[in-house]
Amino acid sequence: MSLAIETRDLVKTYKSRSGPINVVSNLNLQVEPGEIFGFLGPNGAGKTTTIKILLGVIYQTTGDAYVLGKEAGDIAIHKQISYLPEKPYYYEHMTGLEIMQFYASLFGIHDLKKCKDLLERVNLGNDMNRPISQYSKGMQQRVGLAQSLLNDPKLLFLDEPTGGLDPIAHIEIRDLILQFRDEGKTVFISSHELSDVERICDRVAIINKGEVVAQGRLEELLIGGRIELTANGCPDDLATRLRDEDTLVSINHGRMIVDVPDTHNPDQIAKMVQAAGGEIVSIIPRRKRLEDLFLEAVTGDNIAKGRRLDRIVEKQGEEKN
Amino acid sequence: MGVILAIAKTTLGEAVRRRVLLVILLVGVLFLAIAPALEALSPRQELTVLRALTLGIIQLTSAVIAVVLTVYLIPNEIERRTIYTILSKPVRRWQFLIGKYLGAVGALGLMMLLMTTIMLLVFLIMRKVEGTAEIASLAKVPFAFFIQMSLLAAVSVFFSTFASPIVNFFLSGGVYLVGTVFDSFFDVLSKNSQLNPAVKGMASIVHVIVPNFQSFNVQNPAINQLQFIQSEGMFYLGLGVYAFTYISILLIAGIVVFEYREV
Amino acid sequence: MRLKTAQLWGLVAGLAIVQGLVHEAVVFPLWKKNYAVRTDLGNGGLSPDQLLLAFAGFRELIAGILWVRADSFFDDGNFDAILPIIRLVTILDPHQIDVYSTGMWHIAYNFTDEGSRSDRRYVPSAVALGIEGANNNPNTYELFYETGWLYFHKIEDDYPEAVKWFEEAMKRPDVITARRNILNAAYQHNGQIDKAADYLYNLLQESEKRVKSGRDFMASTNRDTIENNYDNLLVRMAQRGYFAKKGGYYQDWDYDTKPPFDVGFSAEVSVVEPKVIRVEGTWNVLPVGTRIRIVLRDENFPHAVPAGMQWYQGPAINLDPPKDETFMQEQLFVKNQRFDRKIDMSRDPLMYPFAQDKYIVEFYYNPRQAPAYIQDKFGWSGEGMTDRNFLNNDVRPGMNVIYTTMEFTRDQLLRQGAWENKVPVVRTKNYVGFGARQLQDQVFKVPGIEPEPDKK
Repeated sequence: MSLAIETRDLVKTYKSRSGPINVVSNLNLQVEPGEIFGFLGPNGAGKTTTIKILLGVIYQTTGDAYVLGKEAGDIAIHKQISYLPEKPYYYEHMTGLEIMQFYASLFGIHDLKKCKDLLERVNLGNDMNRPISQYSKGMQQRVGLAQSLLNDPKLLFLDEPTGGLDPIAHIEIRDLILQFRDEGKTVFISSHELSDVERICDRVAIINKGEVVAQGRLEELLIGGRIELTANGCPDDLATRLRDEDTLVSINHGRMIVDVPDTHNPDQIAKMVQAAGGEIVSIIPRRKRLEDLFLEAVTGDNIAKGRRLDRIVEKQGEEKN
Repeated sequence: MGVILAIAKTTLGEAVRRRVLLVILLVGVLFLAIAPALEALSPRQELTVLRALTLGIIQLTSAVIAVVLTVYLIPNEIERRTIYTILSKPVRRWQFLIGKYLGAVGALGLMMLLMTTIMLLVFLIMRKVEGTAEIASLAKVPFAFFIQMSLLAAVSVFFSTFASPIVNFFLSGGVYLVGTVFDSFFDVLSKNSQLNPAVKGMASIVHVIVPNFQSFNVQNPAINQLQFIQSEGMFYLGLGVYAFTYISILLIAGIVVFEYREV
Repeated sequence: MRLKTAQLWGLVAGLAIVQGLVHEAVVFPLWKKNYAVRTDLGNGGLSPDQLLLAFAGFRELIAGILWVRADSFFDDGNFDAILPIIRLVTILDPHQIDVYSTGMWHIAYNFTDEGSRSDRRYVPSAVALGIEGANNNPNTYELFYETGWLYFHKIEDDYPEAVKWFEEAMKRPDVITARRNILNAAYQHNGQIDKAADYLYNLLQESEKRVKSGRDFMASTNRDTIENNYDNLLVRMAQRGYFAKKGGYYQDWDYDTKPPFDVGFSAEVSVVEPKVIRVEGTWNVLPVGTRIRIVLRDENFPHAVPAGMQWYQGPAINLDPPKDETFMQEQLFVKNQRFDRKIDMSRDPLMYPFAQDKYIVEFYYNPRQAPAYIQDKFGWSGEGMTDRNFLNNDVRPGMNVIYTTMEFTRDQLLRQGAWENKVPVVRTKNYVGFGARQLQDQVFKVPGIEPEPDKK
């Protein structure tokens, strides 16, 4: 089976006064059918631009983009995909049900029951006859999800689906997305809500400045937790001995913090500390989080690892100043 | 076709609820309602003035509505991102554009129908009009205006595929003005034997190319109650063909531009 | 699948040709024939839409276009077409001074019948237009001057108004030097001789200053003119006994103005053809230059005053004088102590509708209008003039004028009914014919005046 989404060296260039700007440059994505794919990146990284190219709303400058095995923009695939834009608005004078009927008619679907069922499914059964203008943000988002299911799509594009929603709405939307996977749909989520993505995505791609900086299954990307060892009464030379390429050591008045990848054996370090006369205070293993990965990816600093990252980020901030 | 109609219907539903349009319409309707009171200004030719005034109000109001309605058709869709949900469905851009245009024309038609009805009612109540023939001759005028406004709407739909609403407002308004006010002026220029051929050539080009809105201004016989209209059927047929052709030109050109537009 | 752009552009080009053909061949010719607004304003016409432009703030533009159009009508002599344009232009752009002044002149002077008599029914509109223009343009002398000129030259009979408007004009700093002399003439016509003298004196003082400043090439010419005028005035004041009267020694000396000279006016009016009258009469003044006013009007003509009408009738500018009112005013030129003039009112039924039953003919002579050499005898206000029968100091208080009236009926003037085959003739009782009349005159009425003793 072919990939649900594939891009090869996708480039999108805009002209500006200071010369051309690559909003998307050499983007290579592979999205497998049936997975929930997280498309991550800071604001302005080119996420929405990429989605628009995949939808055929705008056109790439060079490179190829394929959706469900066909070139992006091919109207035939639009029957099998759906798109929920970031912060969508709808024709406010219409009721939820009317919106559904309108979008259904764009597919040539004239099935009132289906429209009602989908609204029931997103918990809007009681509000379907109220105009959209009276809906809350979360309700509008749910209408958006409902309309995106009208054509029983194989592939869903969700652009910041939980953006600006309260925690309960978050959970509702998340649960709906998980249901989509169970139904065998491919879901392409663009987001910077990392906790959501971490919970529901099978695979992610992180882009920054238009380029993919990390892509793969979440379990694979998140391998490499860290272990943090804290000890008191350590001599300064111990720090020097322990320090190596992947081992971060800081020492202050004998209190030493050692931060190593979980591939290292902490017992060995503990022995060295004890041998040097130090006293172990704690040994804490810490799983790698998507946040770490994200920061790692977008700051592009290989040395920055673990929780020291925040300091690195701060330092970069200072340099800019 | 179903897609176009669905978009047209939604556009119409939205347009008839837009506040700015309703305000313009309300002002027009108010003027229509008080127009008979202005006959005091013209004791001798009250009927002529009253008809000219009411038809003028309908025309002006419709023109403003037509432009204000259409300049925001596409930009509003982009701003609200509804265009993305629609274009990510199996909807072609030309279908979208034509649907929007038809919806706008439908809304315009409804509003003009309302104004025409009010005008005729006021005339009937004030006993300013008698007999079906007179009513018919009066009602033909807003009908021609409607075709005129459909052409105007097509002009601004075309501009809206590449211009911002404010720019579009002035572009469309300018084309309407030139097509209404100066068209026969250009015609006269192009036939003036004393002018230099280059100027004459330019004048005839402008005369032929600019949509001739003036040809839809058929109010004169109705205002002055002239009875000698010749080949009326031929005229309206020609007018219909002309409007249809010109609207097609504008929409096709708009579609081609819009097809490559990045939204 | 993308659109086939090239083909679509081709289609657009094809349709563009179709629309051009349809419009030029069918729509536009039929529209022009059936629906275009025929304003007859030159070639193009000014449509309501162009008027809309006017209301949209391009008033001056439209006014300008209109005025340029109107120009061609002056060339063609199509005067009727100009009036509405003038009114429209002045409404659209009330600062079109040239349009106001041209319009006044045009309204007052250009509506003439075959005998170059202008239609006096228009004069009040010209006056009103001038006053409106002056009020709208108070910063320039021009329309004050033009309004004064209308009273001074066209109306000739309401000199207080002429003085008033000229005085207003002279207050404006932009008044042309050469035009300032007119107020002197207006004062004299108005009988304000002191003021005329003072005015000329002041003008002279001013022009002396200008000559001394040495900057103005025309200043000395102008100074000479004023000086000449001033000299003339002083001589005339002496000659006509003005100073003598002031000093109280008029009766002690001989002056040209005494004894009062009897002008010996008599007249006969005969309706020689329908609407054609022949006016003959005597005037015992040998030098040429006398013009006697004759007015023929409806007996109940509104706003009528003796030998004229109220020339200012309010601010309304009515470009369409009432179609049922008749007012004819003409000058009788005296040569060899008599006058003989045929006045034909049959050519223009719009100007002379003869819609009423009774008509008045008025004869009127006002010495204020007389040339200087006649005034040397008659004085500024007719103190050196008399007439045994028709001297009058009522119709123009404060001066001696000659005035008498006759009556006609419509049937007489139109030569219909009882008068179809008879020539109606009305004479002053003192009228002496010059013989040589072939027609069988029908004397039917004589105004109630004393007959001369030796005539029947």
